[in-house]
Amino acid sequence: MSDPNSDRGRGGVAAPEGQLDGDPRASALLRVEDLRVQLPTEDGLLGAVDGISYELHAGRTLGIVGESGSGKTVSALALMGLNPKHARVSGRIDFDGRELLALDSQQLRALRGDELAMIFQDPLSSLHPLHRVGWQLVEAIRAHRDVAKAAARERAAELLDLVGIPDARARLHAYPHELSGGQRQRVMIAMALANEPKLLIADEPTTALDVTVQAQILALLARLQRELGMAILLVTHDLGVVAEIADEVAVMYAGRIVERGSTEQVLTAPSHPYTWGLLRSIPRLEGGAAGHGPASRAPRDSDRGAVGELEPIAGRPASLISPPSGCRFHPRCPYALPDHARIDPALAPLPDDPAHLAACLLAPEERTRLWSKEERARLGSDEERAHLWSDEERTRLGSDEEPARLGDETHG
Amino acid sequence: MTRYIIRRLLWGVALLFIVSALTFVLFDLLPSGDPAKLRAGRTATPQAIAHIRHELGLDKPVYTQFFDYMKGVVLHFDLGYSYYSHAPVKSLIAERLPATVSLAVGAIVIWLLVGLSVGIVSAVRQRTLIDRTAMGTALVFISAPEYWLGLLALFLFASDIGKLAVFPGAGSYVAFSSEPVKWFTALILPWLVLAASFAAVYARLLRGSLVEVLGEDYIRTARAKGLPERRVVMRHGVRSAITPIVTVLGLDIGTLLGGALLIEVVFNIPGVGRLNYDAITHADFPIVQGTVLLAALFIVVANLLVDISYAFLDPRVRFK
Amino acid sequence: MFNHHGRRAAPSLALVSAGLLALALAACGSSEDSSTSTIPLKAGESPLGQQLTGKHRGGTLTVYDHEDFEHFDPGEAYGGQDYTVLYAIERPLYSYPPNTANKLVPDVAAAAPVISDGGKTVTVAIKPHIYFSPPVNREVNSGDVAYAIERGANPNVSNPYFHSYFNDIVGAEKANGGAIAGIETPSRYAIVFHLTKPTAGLLYGALSLPLSAPVPPEFAKPLDAHSPTTYGTEYLVATGPYMLKANAQGKFLGIGYQPGKSVTLVRNPTWNPHTDYRPAYLDQININIGGEPTVIGQQVLKGQDVVQNDSPAQSIVKEAYERYPQQITFTPGSGDYYASLNNARGPFTNLDLRKAVWAALDREAIAKVRGGPLVAQPMTHFLYPGVAGYEQAGGDAGPKVDYNEHPEGDMAIAAKYMKLAGYPSGKYTGGKTLQVVGSTGEPQEGMAQIVNQTLQNLGFKTHLSLVDQSVMYDKYCTVPAQEIDVCPNGGWVRDFADPQTVLYVPFYGPAIEAQGNSNWSQVNDPKINAAMQKAELVVGEPARAEAWAKIDEMLVEQAVAAPEVYVNQASIEGSGVAGVNQLWNSGAWDYDFTSLK
Repeated sequence: MSDPNSDRGRGGVAAPEGQLDGDPRASALLRVEDLRVQLPTEDGLLGAVDGISYELHAGRTLGIVGESGSGKTVSALALMGLNPKHARVSGRIDFDGRELLALDSQQLRALRGDELAMIFQDPLSSLHPLHRVGWQLVEAIRAHRDVAKAAARERAAELLDLVGIPDARARLHAYPHELSGGQRQRVMIAMALANEPKLLIADEPTTALDVTVQAQILALLARLQRELGMAILLVTHDLGVVAEIADEVAVMYAGRIVERGSTEQVLTAPSHPYTWGLLRSIPRLEGGAAGHGPASRAPRDSDRGAVGELEPIAGRPASLISPPSGCRFHPRCPYALPDHARIDPALAPLPDDPAHLAACLLAPEERTRLWSKEERARLGSDEERAHLWSDEERTRLGSDEEPARLGDETHG
Repeated sequence: MTRYIIRRLLWGVALLFIVSALTFVLFDLLPSGDPAKLRAGRTATPQAIAHIRHELGLDKPVYTQFFDYMKGVVLHFDLGYSYYSHAPVKSLIAERLPATVSLAVGAIVIWLLVGLSVGIVSAVRQRTLIDRTAMGTALVFISAPEYWLGLLALFLFASDIGKLAVFPGAGSYVAFSSEPVKWFTALILPWLVLAASFAAVYARLLRGSLVEVLGEDYIRTARAKGLPERRVVMRHGVRSAITPIVTVLGLDIGTLLGGALLIEVVFNIPGVGRLNYDAITHADFPIVQGTVLLAALFIVVANLLVDISYAFLDPRVRFK
Repeated sequence: MFNHHGRRAAPSLALVSAGLLALALAACGSSEDSSTSTIPLKAGESPLGQQLTGKHRGGTLTVYDHEDFEHFDPGEAYGGQDYTVLYAIERPLYSYPPNTANKLVPDVAAAAPVISDGGKTVTVAIKPHIYFSPPVNREVNSGDVAYAIERGANPNVSNPYFHSYFNDIVGAEKANGGAIAGIETPSRYAIVFHLTKPTAGLLYGALSLPLSAPVPPEFAKPLDAHSPTTYGTEYLVATGPYMLKANAQGKFLGIGYQPGKSVTLVRNPTWNPHTDYRPAYLDQININIGGEPTVIGQQVLKGQDVVQNDSPAQSIVKEAYERYPQQITFTPGSGDYYASLNNARGPFTNLDLRKAVWAALDREAIAKVRGGPLVAQPMTHFLYPGVAGYEQAGGDAGPKVDYNEHPEGDMAIAAKYMKLAGYPSGKYTGGKTLQVVGSTGEPQEGMAQIVNQTLQNLGFKTHLSLVDQSVMYDKYCTVPAQEIDVCPNGGWVRDFADPQTVLYVPFYGPAIEAQGNSNWSQVNDPKINAAMQKAELVVGEPARAEAWAKIDEMLVEQAVAAPEVYVNQASIEGSGVAGVNQLWNSGAWDYDFTSLK
């Protein structure tokens, strides 16, 4: 599908994003167009988010995936207007008919914590340590609703109930450090939900929690979404989390979205070498489920320690101050051709699925072929692998200065 | 908590005991200031001096004297007698205490108001001209010696010797009970001078603490809740940033109540600090003993109160 | 006497009670002092006689005083600082008007004492119609004077000079506060002293000390039973034109005196001006104690009805001299400073070495360290300006000996004496390291350093210790056993202007004590001792002046110590004050004569 707005092939110049697609009948709750966030630093202007676009409908979950330095958290903060004061944010953020970047601070504040809410990665540091949980909840409520303290406390207890904290009324008097990690995250969620937001942004909500709790929290989020009908924007580095609850996925690299589509499509038929790298770097489980792709349960970072080699992506994340020329991923791409250092690919839909887009200069068919090779390499025997790649490819695959380790990133 | 308080109080008493003993020993070891000679006058005969020494109990061994002294302190609250001023130490100190307290309280109020506001504004407007000017000025006031600042203030603003005759000059302090208005006006300049360096310290302290706190995640959460920035800075930011300030404040109060010596001398305020200073100059050691003990007491109590208040300020703190 | 931390920061020397200070003081009939330098000088003006009468009556004087007071009990007070208040509220038998340093005038006494019985009986007549202040209110009689002196021996009072001056009264030596046999009161207005020795002259002089100020026994005896006495510390009765403000019971502590804070003098309602030569112009005197010396100085110089009671700071002296010359007074004869040299032990038993040090020392440098020519001049002999005999002994230039010729120091002459002492190189080559003990604080330290450097320039190895002033007094320079070779911070302040008080105690051999010794140089020259014994019995001012001037010359010949400087005391007043200085008390303001313009 050629896009009249795309401008491919104009050497060295970044092509503008393709037109957003989605269900034309229902207008999206959130529509992000060409969002850019630049942060002035000592070393120069850092382009944390370099032109991303996506849509999110009510009741749906979009996962934004990438390693640290990809710009995913910065882009999420941009929605809330929580970037540092000196950040330069441009583009369009259409939320429920309002252009967020055009609002003044008072109007934005009215939205935050009300229709637009956010939860953060580390609930211990994200809750005020010196105020009781009940106080913090009541504050969230009374910031946007004119209710008496007593009524607010009632609502606070209800919220704790809602998120599954037992003995809610007593828990109101607790301090954050008196609760467990999972309970704290539930409190954060409760606080975010206090005023029934239309969109909940969750920035790495499970990264700081341990395995069993992660599952609970994700289940909670899914349940709440069903009950309240809110949209969720989930920022994470963990493909497993995405697989669990996201309807759609956007993969970010170096401030750009490099692949976007439904979760199923992106995880079973990824069409970008970076996405392949992400999937490759997830450890294989011994035998069994992993062999059939990310269907019922995708292996997650937390599976680390299970049998199987980690194969990280070679090279370091791209510098956001002076990104690579042409395709930003080309220095680390095992399949890059010389031309790719000159031409910057735009996000383009795949021929067989217009809702699935990727930004790659390789032809889609070529990519399909390479993906099956990748899969076999991932899931097959060593002997099989030995015959898959050419020497050149093998050299490229094997070379690395410092492979990116997806598991220990904490910020997008 | 109660056990903790009791334990700390006992430690405090032990500490006061040690402080008394140390001062006692120091004065005994120091070669100058023989109280018997002081009492007898410098031209007294050796017999007269010996007689007085016996009367004062100074011919007894040091530990006996110390024991008698402590007995007096603990049982009768008797801090000894000053032969230079011809009065019991206790009454001399009690008489001077109101002036010191007046000086301390006023200064504390001023420096808290000024220092904390400046600190907050500076932190919120980090790296702007306001911030740099404020912190620069603060540095000047911290570096300026108190004594010099006091003299400067007098030579600028005192009605009798200053370039601009605004405030009453040195030595115009009167008790609140006698002339409240004069008491107040006479203290304005000393308050300002005393508060100046403290305000500067507190401004810098709070700025540093608040800047750090404002970078914390829970501040981001507070903003994400859509709270007005004022509330975020005060109820979330300052609330956290204030804890190290409280610690310092407690100790500063404790120390000040022992007498702001330099200010009292420059402005000639008859407080405990000046009493101490005069006593040292005259080798009047019973007074010095008493003021040292009093100062130690204030600091011990202040320390304890600060530590206790910590439990209320920061619920994460637990007492064993 | 001495001054320790008193009003005049002159050095103090412990006056040895055992030192027999025989003062055959001139009778009051003598003419005024022959030296013009006894008159206080307003900076930059030629000397004027102080006008004492015909001034404006009334008003309140504010006094700033950095130093506190020690004693208001006339039986205990001994220092110049305390005298500034004491002589306004208590009247001894005899006293000095402010414009003389040595002319005693009858005060409570009606006339000069009658000396009989070969000098062993002293009879003093007392003026009638002198009254005690409230609450006693009654007329003063001889018994009050008797009690005043007798209580000096009471251990609860413990007068520091009792045994120095009053010991020769029959029964005084063993006295303990009770009646003394040798003091007789044959009638209301007569008191008679019987002495064991013919030292009536000594006693006469001593009767100008505060001990002779009348004290009412019915009021004071119960107070004197406390240890220490509460008379003069809590309660006091006055005979002078002023009194410490007190309550109806006579308690002044907390009212007229707040320790470390203030002294308030009000008029004594029972004071009878017809019995007193004092005019007492002021109505009230408020003394503020404490404060920073430079601030106080400014408050006085810029103020009107204010004076400073104690010595102004050096920077203030300079500023006053330059910008307020009408408001500063310099009073010469406030004392001298010299470096004692150990005549008894060590290298300085050699006269030529002593002369060498005298010649080498730069006295002008020392004067500079002390504040310059306004406050200090090079010292040239051991009497000083204002003391009788000063001029006869050579005046400002002093005796004409070569080692005295150059107050700026002369190494050539010093070398000459070193050679005479047996060091042909002109520098000391002996093995002894000199022990030098000085005092910390400025300007003493500066002076000590100059002396120390001078000794080193002469080739001596020195070990200089700078200690707290009281330590220097108590432990080192007054203890011969310490074998200190040089004490650079020695000095003397006279009690009154008789030359004997200046030369006797510091240089009389038999007065050397094992502890609390005042003869720091440990001078024990038999010729000088004999001369002093003869001179103390001389009567009549001109003759005494001659006799002691000769002794001064002998001391110079023997180079008993290395002289440093004579000091003047500065006093400052506000622009609205017509201040009168007490010449006999280092130029302190006399509140009985001072008035407002």
